[in-house]
Amino acid sequence: MSTSSNPTTSTTAAPKHEMTVVLPSNLHARPAGQLARAAATFTSAIQLEYADRTVNPTGVLAVMGLGATVGSTVTVRAEGHDAEQAVTALAQILATAE
Amino acid sequence: MSASVGIVLVSHSAELASGLRLLVEQIGSDTVPLAIAGGTDDGRIGTSYDLVLAAIRSVDRGAGVVVLPDLGSAVLTARTVLEDHPRPDVLIVDAPFVEGAVAAVVTAASGADLKTVSTAAKEARNVHKL
Repeated sequence: MSTSSNPTTSTTAAPKHEMTVVLPSNLHARPAGQLARAAATFTSAIQLEYADRTVNPTGVLAVMGLGATVGSTVTVRAEGHDAEQAVTALAQILATAE
Repeated sequence: MSASVGIVLVSHSAELASGLRLLVEQIGSDTVPLAIAGGTDDGRIGTSYDLVLAAIRSVDRGAGVVVLPDLGSAVLTARTVLEDHPRPDVLIVDAPFVEGAVAAVVTAASGADLKTVSTAAKEARNVHKL
């Protein structure tokens, strides 16, 4: 996993956070369900990006529809006051998916 | 967290409904109230008014119920049950059976309200698999 954030953002802007994960397995139904449920617990706007496609991870079917395969890179992005926690939680699910 | 929206799967086939229940419990959650009404009262292919009504009652935790029929007479039976027992918080939802069930259960598991769960199931129609 690699991470980046912009702590220098002005105080009026919502924090942004981003991480990339190399998938240890195909992003199939079960981890997609875990991602969707986890994403729904945060208030930040979250995006998953894979192969030039971006989806909202609260949509389990959209996550499955990415068709992300083992060894490929998925980027998790969030913007909001719990952006860092959201990105950390979702990246963890992606990085440990079986 | 408040009570979860309940989900009812209405299918012509008891095996189809119970298989879909196993699938959504794996992908979505095994904590969302979920009942199936599959097949006729005597286990044949078809749908049962009494099984649908009992299934709705069994998943009602006060947050509303989403009823997902597979097709044809499952739709008609579910609509008849709801017409006989009209309630604003029990909705029959027009959605693809498998995808709608997965979306509904995942959304309900996150504590979403009835409208959000219903919308998630309906929107399953517009999500591409490829």
